[in-house]
Amino acid sequence: MKLLMKPIEMIAWFTKEGVPTPIKYRLMEDAANITIKVDRVIIRDEEKLAGNKMFIYRCQSILDNTEKIYELKYEINTCKWFLYKW
Amino acid sequence: MKKRIIFHIDVNSAYLSWEAVHRLQKGDDVDLREIPSVVGGNEETRHGIVLAKSVPAKKYDIKTGETLFSARNKCPNLVVVPPNYTLYMQCSSAMMEILKEYSPAIQRYSIDEVFLDYTHITDHLGAPVEVAYKIRNRIKNHLGFTVNIGIGSNKLLAKMASEFEKPNRVHTLFEDEIQEKMWPLPVEELFFVGRATASKLKSRGIITIGELAKTDVNYLQQFLKSHGLLIWNYANGRDNSSVRNEKPPMKGLGNSNTIAFDVTEEETVYQILLALSETLGMRIRNVEKCAYVVAISIKNHHLFSYSHQKKLDVPIDSTNMIYKHAKDLFNQAWKGEPIRHLGIYLSSLCSNDFCQLSLFTADESQNRKLDGAIDKIRLKYGSNSIIRSCFLNAGINPLMGGVISEEEYPMMSSLL
Repeated sequence: MKLLMKPIEMIAWFTKEGVPTPIKYRLMEDAANITIKVDRVIIRDEEKLAGNKMFIYRCQSILDNTEKIYELKYEINTCKWFLYKW
Repeated sequence: MKKRIIFHIDVNSAYLSWEAVHRLQKGDDVDLREIPSVVGGNEETRHGIVLAKSVPAKKYDIKTGETLFSARNKCPNLVVVPPNYTLYMQCSSAMMEILKEYSPAIQRYSIDEVFLDYTHITDHLGAPVEVAYKIRNRIKNHLGFTVNIGIGSNKLLAKMASEFEKPNRVHTLFEDEIQEKMWPLPVEELFFVGRATASKLKSRGIITIGELAKTDVNYLQQFLKSHGLLIWNYANGRDNSSVRNEKPPMKGLGNSNTIAFDVTEEETVYQILLALSETLGMRIRNVEKCAYVVAISIKNHHLFSYSHQKKLDVPIDSTNMIYKHAKDLFNQAWKGEPIRHLGIYLSSLCSNDFCQLSLFTADESQNRKLDGAIDKIRLKYGSNSIIRSCFLNAGINPLMGGVISEEEYPMMSSLL
């Protein structure tokens, strides 16, 4: 997986405790929007580097009939989602 | 009494490693700690000095406090990043959160240094050195930066121990180790021995901390006064200050600013003094004090500094009065040359509960009400929500001084 850290648009659901789970996201690729559905969240992890809290999700999606594993990040402070590793 | 065990936790090149971790988290592929890099101020506004440096930058003999210009001369491909004080507060607070789990007695000595009293915790959490390693690893794994931890029987020894070898180390310095670990060090390594004291000591043949410790204290006091007694005690590893959860009492406060251009006109100087008075006034009212002494300092274009102060009969806390006295002092002191840096300082503080009325000064009650209202508006809507009209289009920041206006930033105190 390559480190990308690309900002993305996200639809997610939140638990009562405030923990988000990604559902579907959109990113700009070669001037076109691509929408990807998150089929499965494999692991959710939390990091606190430099005191900045982020959730990291290792996810799986089917793209062009192949299974792809990648990582998403959610920055709590700014409410921003990123495609972290692809 | 049980022997005290004090930890001193010191972040390795704090500003730089915090910035490095922050960038790595944001997806940057370069670790600033592994390349020659520094955190430096903005050269255009003439704040261009090195605030922190990486280990590779140190190899180019770049020193904290030197100008970015001379740092770039030493290393042409030096990476310079701007300071980010909000990030530093965030990192420091996250570290405090971890440390709070290990002792109730914690003192945030500065943004990147913390004292922790471990004296009675041994029975609960385990041997000090093991726990220190645990803390070090936790900070590294969770927060991403490295720290040095010094363990000693008082705050001074703990602080000296954390300075030994860097980065990412744990050192001990107990009384029986002083002779072996601390005494061979050069005298300027001792806490509270600065450049001036070190040269006085060296000219009298006192080169190492050990030599200082063995010198007759009366002799030291002859030329260093009470400071001689203090450093003599320190050299012998004696210090009984406690780990304070609260801050030491405030003795005075001040704000200063290096101006982006050389100021030659009085009008501009007055505006800058007013901008500094605004910040200072808000701060002194916030701590509920009044000041008897007002001082100003001027640094001219040759980097020569001088100051002037006066004692008042009636203590003040209003922005207008601070400004008025600062202006008077300035008019008395200024020699007419271009100015680079201006500062205002207030000291001899007293409580603002009761104030002595004076027959000879104007009624301050209106001013107090006005200041109170402005402070409240600024607190609620931000510090720039209400400004004086003279700052409109003046090109001068209406509130000057300080690193983060909104937040309380822990500066290092001269007391242990």
